[in-house]
Amino acid sequence: MTELPPTHSQATRAAALAAAYIRYRHGSPGRGLVLRAVHRARRQDIDGVGHKYHLELVLEDIFGKDSTVNCTAEVLYHLGNKISAPDVQFTIEGELKNTDEADNICYNRIKSLKKELEAENIPDSFGNVSPEMEPIRVLAWVASGYVVWQNSTENTKYQLAQIKHVKQVKRSDEYLEFDYTILLHENVSQEIIPWQMTVLWHPQHGVEVTQNSPQPKHALD
Amino acid sequence: MWAFLVLTGAAAVSAHLQDLAFDGQKVFRVILQDDEQVEIIQSLASKMQVDFWQPDYVELLKPKMQVDFRVEADKALEVEHLLKENKVEYRVLIDNLQTALDAQFDSKVRSTSHSYEKYNSWENIATWTADIAAQNPSLVSRSVIGETYEGRPLYLLKVGKSGANKKAIFIDCGFHAREWISPAFCQWFVKDAVESYGNDNLVTKLLDSLDFYVLPVLNIDGYVYTWTNDRMWRKTRSKNTGSVCRGTDPNRNFDAGWCTIGASKRACDSTYCGSEPESEKETKALADFIREHLSTIKAYLTIHSYSQLLLFPYSYTYSHPADYDELNSIASAAAKQLASLYNTKYTYGPGAATIYPAAGGSDDWAYDQGIKYSFTFELRDTGSYGFLLPESQIKPTCEETLLAVKYIANYVLEHLY
Repeated sequence: MTELPPTHSQATRAAALAAAYIRYRHGSPGRGLVLRAVHRARRQDIDGVGHKYHLELVLEDIFGKDSTVNCTAEVLYHLGNKISAPDVQFTIEGELKNTDEADNICYNRIKSLKKELEAENIPDSFGNVSPEMEPIRVLAWVASGYVVWQNSTENTKYQLAQIKHVKQVKRSDEYLEFDYTILLHENVSQEIIPWQMTVLWHPQHGVEVTQNSPQPKHALD
Repeated sequence: MWAFLVLTGAAAVSAHLQDLAFDGQKVFRVILQDDEQVEIIQSLASKMQVDFWQPDYVELLKPKMQVDFRVEADKALEVEHLLKENKVEYRVLIDNLQTALDAQFDSKVRSTSHSYEKYNSWENIATWTADIAAQNPSLVSRSVIGETYEGRPLYLLKVGKSGANKKAIFIDCGFHAREWISPAFCQWFVKDAVESYGNDNLVTKLLDSLDFYVLPVLNIDGYVYTWTNDRMWRKTRSKNTGSVCRGTDPNRNFDAGWCTIGASKRACDSTYCGSEPESEKETKALADFIREHLSTIKAYLTIHSYSQLLLFPYSYTYSHPADYDELNSIASAAAKQLASLYNTKYTYGPGAATIYPAAGGSDDWAYDQGIKYSFTFELRDTGSYGFLLPESQIKPTCEETLLAVKYIANYVLEHLY
């Protein structure tokens, strides 16, 4: 087991991946968890299996900047060319703030719209997000955690750069469904990758990405 | 104020400006140097209809002020003569008010004037470089150090009280087109310098003892492209032989371990290192300027976004530079200063280990040229908005970053070599 400086890129990439995964598992339009700090990072090379990172992280909720939460996470990047997502295990210390009220308000507002929601460029070039679109943005950011998790390696660091397009898909059940085209920014290659993802959400059932695939660059034109 | 009502009220009233009430009317911008020139304008206003746009009333005129005013079409020539005769520095801000009004209703472009708390178009930034120098002639002068691929002038501002044998700090912004907060910082830096000189002890000391070369946007072509075509563009806009893809990554284009690691040899990639070091007109102009002023430049700061990092050499190798310990402690202290304002957490360290190994960076090149204090800033945020940092964060980002930059500048001043 090697101790890594918490500022080392290997540590911060693994931490970003863990945070993305935790954000996906625990996020909602009312809760957006972001990585605030890495307190400790150790790397374990497991013969024939891969590299496992043991992390002590601090996360914070974008909706409550001063309330941070500590967690521990283990990220296992598999060896070889197998296209398989890293394994992530995590434990959150203490309890996350309850977001039922915020989530329900958001859910009901969208449910009551007369027409299916559709929008482009969130945020816009100047970083603006209208108040009505803020939950849609957070939802995308939470859902993108899944895409980031599924596609990350030790040599990548993905972030959601922008929502190019979002369209609500009509459903007969209680779930809300959105078809997103997002732009992912990969921090090492510096590439911007368009990605499609279909997102389901219900306040009691959480966020789920049912479909996702990279898009060809010219799909944006 | 009157003009504001005209421009916004007219839109509310009617879509068609049938009567050409403002045809031929001109708006002048003058810089009043002294009391004598103030009197000239005041006397003009007493002889004819002068509509002051800035400041609001003739009584507010003062020396050193930038004054905008509108005059009737048939008086424009007379006014121009008067200004020329009295050697009053002026320019025609709006040549035909009617045309400008008509254009505003057609324009899809954000037609706002320069603001330190907004992202400014290149046109606004270019105008600002002229204005800020004209308004503060004893502190700011503007020069052109070269041209971009598409022929735009590379403006450089020299900020500092003139004096002999002064050492300098070089700060550049806008290497990467999509990192809009970066040029915003350079503009903020100059604003703070001119506003605080004479009021703030540290700023006054720094500007008296040092010169600051500030390059507000290096990759102007790319920056313009992010406004007109693709907000996420990064590189320059030069044509690449044998490829449909344009642009080179300016921060992989310097002669520092060039293209050996962390850069691509493929023209279509975002980190394309170029056909050779300094293949880009922009990077060559910057490198030429620094080489020419090497004996005076003692620190090099290059501003990027995002990630909240303060980096120092090397990025092209994991090896530590000779001045590692000193650079590390400066970075540590500067990051602490930055955090003191809004608790914004920055990570600091050598480029390769902290972010990624990448050759061809300007900070490494500057360091290897002998500029010991060489730093790269990656400003807010850490990914929530990324490149699309909201305008509401421009002010806090710039304020906190200024603390770190001033810390470094003061350190350099106290450790001149």
